[in-house]
Amino acid sequence: MKIITQIGIIFTICWISQIIEKVLPFEFPASVIGMILLFLLLVTKVMKVDHIREKSDFLLSNMAFFFLPAGVSIINYFDVLKNCVVQLIIICVVSTVVTFAVTAYSMKLVLWLMNRKKNAREAAVVQETKAADHAAAVCGKETK
Amino acid sequence: MAELFTSPFFGIALSIIAFWIGVKIQKKTGLVVCNPLIIAIVIVAGILLIFKIPYDSYNEGGQIINMFLAPATACLAVSIYTKIELLKKNWLPIVVGASCGSLASMGSILLMCKLFGLDSAMTASLVPKSVTTPIAVSIAGSHGGMTPITVVAVIFTGILGSVLAPMLIKIFRVKDPMIAGLSIGACSHAVGTSKAIQIGETEGAMSGLAIGICGIMTVLFSLILM
Repeated sequence: MKIITQIGIIFTICWISQIIEKVLPFEFPASVIGMILLFLLLVTKVMKVDHIREKSDFLLSNMAFFFLPAGVSIINYFDVLKNCVVQLIIICVVSTVVTFAVTAYSMKLVLWLMNRKKNAREAAVVQETKAADHAAAVCGKETK
Repeated sequence: MAELFTSPFFGIALSIIAFWIGVKIQKKTGLVVCNPLIIAIVIVAGILLIFKIPYDSYNEGGQIINMFLAPATACLAVSIYTKIELLKKNWLPIVVGASCGSLASMGSILLMCKLFGLDSAMTASLVPKSVTTPIAVSIAGSHGGMTPITVVAVIFTGILGSVLAPMLIKIFRVKDPMIAGLSIGACSHAVGTSKAIQIGETEGAMSGLAIGICGIMTVLFSLILM
């Protein structure tokens, strides 16, 4: 009964997201709507991971298998592929390197900026305390 | 004789046996190139072609397996949720990195498709290829792409990313394990993540997070770009 309940929960989410996909005025894949929906349910604590743990472990750990039929249908596309295999390989290699580089450098930049801001704030705090010390020292002298 | 192959049990049984062989070969050799899915596709496609079994007969069972893709994608939410602490602590660099990476991936592919004069169906099949298969397939499908080509391109990219990852980390001098993980996940999704887990724990977690975040970003950008 436990597994059946879990399947029921996940399939219900999938069905609801298909309805949302139909209603939305733009193209947004139902499977991603399902993912966002499930994430919201977890974040808002309406649902716990325990409610779907076994089923989601099963789906996630066998993810690759579910693509087999989609991959096999490549045999219907041999004619299309024949003409552009070289281009496809170039596109895959170049875009992989570009994506890696851009992700790494943009993240580096953000972390660097955040660090600089933090350092600037710390420096300001240090200066303030120094100024306060100085002022206190001056006051101390004057009262003497 | 032909009726025997139109039973959905045939497609499902053949798929499971082929995938099982793929997993065994991967375990024996330990090579990323021996991706179980690629091996299984070759085995099933080979059997269909050799015995002249029509794809539609195989697909009687195939479409039942296919049905599990949507719930599997939804469950990616669980893997993001389990890393929510990491995401909360570093949300800004993660979101910016994933957005820039997804944009760079889609932009570079669009540009090269124009350059090579590929038609719009082929372009739509390739543009989402850096994200995880279920999301890439749904994007390609909703924009008139050929989903089998997307599947193959996604897996090929994944293998490429996990093979190149250690080299790319050196070339681009990435020292922070967080950055390395996110970059691997952004360019080579789940296949790359399995490599990232081998490199280190933080790398693996970040790479896993990148699968989901880059997936959502790519869907959003595809609304604008495609």
